[in-house]
Amino acid sequence: MLQVKNVCVRYPNGTRALSDFSITVKTGEFVTVLGGNGSGKTTLLRCITRTVKPSSGEIWVNGSEMTEIEGEPLRRARLNLALISQHASLVRRRNVLANVATGSLGRHFNLWTALGGLPSEELEAGRNYLGKVGLASLEAQRASTLSGGQAQRVAIARALAQKPQVLLADEPVASLDPEAANEVMRLLVDLATNGRLAVLCVLHQVDLAYAYAHRVIGIRRGRVAFDRERADVSRAEIEQLYVGEPA
Amino acid sequence: MTSGATQRPDAAGFWGWSSGSAAANALRVVGILVAILVVVQTVLVVQARPQDLVTGFRGMVDIVRRAVPPDVSRLPAALWPALETVDLAIFGTLMGLVLALPLSFFAASNVTPSRAAYYLARGVIAFTRAVPDLVWALIFVTAVGLGPFPGGLALGVHSLGMLGRLFAETIEHMDMAPIEALALTGARRIQVITHGIIPTVLPSLLGISLYRLDENIRSSLVLGFVGAGGIGFQLLTAMNLFQYREVSLLLIVTFVIVFSVERLSAMLRRRLV
Repeated sequence: MLQVKNVCVRYPNGTRALSDFSITVKTGEFVTVLGGNGSGKTTLLRCITRTVKPSSGEIWVNGSEMTEIEGEPLRRARLNLALISQHASLVRRRNVLANVATGSLGRHFNLWTALGGLPSEELEAGRNYLGKVGLASLEAQRASTLSGGQAQRVAIARALAQKPQVLLADEPVASLDPEAANEVMRLLVDLATNGRLAVLCVLHQVDLAYAYAHRVIGIRRGRVAFDRERADVSRAEIEQLYVGEPA
Repeated sequence: MTSGATQRPDAAGFWGWSSGSAAANALRVVGILVAILVVVQTVLVVQARPQDLVTGFRGMVDIVRRAVPPDVSRLPAALWPALETVDLAIFGTLMGLVLALPLSFFAASNVTPSRAAYYLARGVIAFTRAVPDLVWALIFVTAVGLGPFPGGLALGVHSLGMLGRLFAETIEHMDMAPIEALALTGARRIQVITHGIIPTVLPSLLGISLYRLDENIRSSLVLGFVGAGGIGFQLLTAMNLFQYREVSLLLIVTFVIVFSVERLSAMLRRRLV
């Protein structure tokens, strides 16, 4: 479970990116976050992964408080979180299976993995994850040869290899064609409902949010504008999020 | 209302002149004058005397006449120094590579563990690069005696500086998104380096190292002049004894070595990068 409690982020130039921001994502839930550019969506994810430290508030991931820890405790806490970003961010010169298995490195620290090796059991597990995302046949292919949709599915398989409790996705389908985007969204929903993950997905595509989300959170100027079941959110409310925001 | 021909408001001539700013034009004049002054003082300082080339032409023709045909009977004796020259370059490049690789992770601003480590690594790189390999060879000849070993050390230390800087710059210019993604999975710093950074930059690092090998072959030729092994020592001895036919043979051997390594290195770089 992911809990964000009263989080504020104020940048050194005085800009308030998030104000008194509170949300909860339960295990098995697929929650999308909608909002205009600069509304604070990406800052929210950066706070949760602790690449940005909140000015105040608390972030709990599966019972661990994230905001006050540094170094090794932070690294350990991050094992519970996986992030899929807009670009798959794969190591392009390694093959697909190796990219997937690197998701498990946080759990394996020994001379072999420090020298660039991967545990054989994680390579085997990686094959299973590739099967889940429908890319088992591409395990030996170099990551640089994949299409955008394939690369994003490999990134999801890498996130699964991490065995997280919370899965964060930052505009995961922004650079994909509609067919690939729907495939990725279906996969994310399946991971939430059948894989028992708490999935928080930042999106720009309102239609996709409507089609797949269990719950929709609207952000406007760093605050929660609404946080309701998908069926209870009207199109007008969503459109209101983008009114007067920079393009 | 303007006439038919469109005129760009910022239209500038071939030399960048524009009618807009007198100050900018004055600055250009000053720039050109400074450039002319630099060229003139350079010619004066190096005491360039083109006429000496004309008067010395007969001497050069005489040397060339005495250098042909090359003394092929000296070829077997030249083979060992030739091998020594190639091995010096390989040893120096490998030593530089092994030392520069770990150092470059401290010297790359985007992955260095601390500012102190960054400045220390950059300092080591700058110092080893600033001192020419010939000077390193003189230092190591004094320290460990004559022979190829001090030559290998000299090339290794100088290569550390040259490779360290280029490796660090390669790392600084790499795409950091996959590296950050790997760090966010909870991987340790060393794992991020070996699983993310090295696979990404390896072709560039190997390409740079092969280019360095190419350079080291050329450098190793002159290390013999200071007693640090290689074919340079034979070349210097033959010149001092006015054995110009042997000199021409050694120059041909040198050319074959340099050309072969250059082609091999270019071919490998094309395959790797």
